[in-house]
Amino acid sequence: MRTSEIATLPVVTLAGDDVAQVKDVVFSADGGAVAGFTLAGRGLLAGPLKQGLSWHHVVGLGPDAVMIADDSALEPVDTVIAAASSTSAGAGSGGNVLGDRVLTDTGSDLGKVSDVVIEYDNADGGPCDVVGYEIEASDALKASTSKGSKHTRLLLPLPDTLAVSSEHVMVPASAEGFVSDDLAGFGAAVQAFRTQLKGGS
Amino acid sequence: MLYSDLKGRKLVDTTSADTVGKVDGFLLDPATRSVVALEFKKTDHGSVVAWSDLTAVGADAVTVGGVAVVVEPDDRLADLATKDGTVLKKRVLSDAGEDLGSVHDIDLDPESGALLELIVGEKKHRVSIAGSRLLGVGSYAVVVAHE
Repeated sequence: MRTSEIATLPVVTLAGDDVAQVKDVVFSADGGAVAGFTLAGRGLLAGPLKQGLSWHHVVGLGPDAVMIADDSALEPVDTVIAAASSTSAGAGSGGNVLGDRVLTDTGSDLGKVSDVVIEYDNADGGPCDVVGYEIEASDALKASTSKGSKHTRLLLPLPDTLAVSSEHVMVPASAEGFVSDDLAGFGAAVQAFRTQLKGGS
Repeated sequence: MLYSDLKGRKLVDTTSADTVGKVDGFLLDPATRSVVALEFKKTDHGSVVAWSDLTAVGADAVTVGGVAVVVEPDDRLADLATKDGTVLKKRVLSDAGEDLGSVHDIDLDPESGALLELIVGEKKHRVSIAGSRLLGVGSYAVVVAHE
């Protein structure tokens, strides 16, 4: 699922009431997981809310709604953001990677981050893992992938941990080999990439 | 028994044999997953009968043992009678955040009023969802447990 699809989803309690809608996705400081959401009121004219939603209070996330048990799941938005930035020792950029350049550790530019791909399991209550970025491919990457001539937006799998600044996202050079243009088969590409990284280290 | 078959059935008083109303709606309590009252129109006074006050829900008529049980909804029933408590035509969301369609009809037990199934979706993609999966009915959606 792309995080851009989450913005504006309604936040609905299990009692069936819509209490808010998603305004923005809050990433953990290292950019490796979704920490929570900032919220806006429902309806066109409603402004941002002072309350936010931590990922661990989310009961289910789907294409049509974010489900929570009841409105006690909402907490002050500052708490959500503070918790997100304390999840990692590394000084991150608050996880906002949109527009960052993706650089490999060998120094080649793969393109610009245009969206974030996440993966989660509604059943196990585990984390909401950031597994990849959608990137506007650089000319160099386009030239090196056979499908690149047709698609300028490609999906790039990510390792479990990575270095993120406000300018750059660093990825292993081997990630380039797992670039895909299809979200359906992307999960397998992420698995293959991460397995290879573990095997290689 | 489908609610669509029940709708419009007459309400007959067994003591006077008079028709005293017509089925016009139901009030579903999501906590007990059952219909707790029926709504009637064309009554002289009152608009609901608690399920426990019905003598029988038959194939051709609903019967009561006297018009005294046809009452105005009390606070609890009035809450269910608002738009937030309505079930028909409301969107159905799973607790995994997936829109399953809107409620077309419900299947209820004519003895107990228990919700057996929600009939959901448009004509060509109609699915039935077991009443036991119902979690809540609110202003935005009917929420059911995912499979």
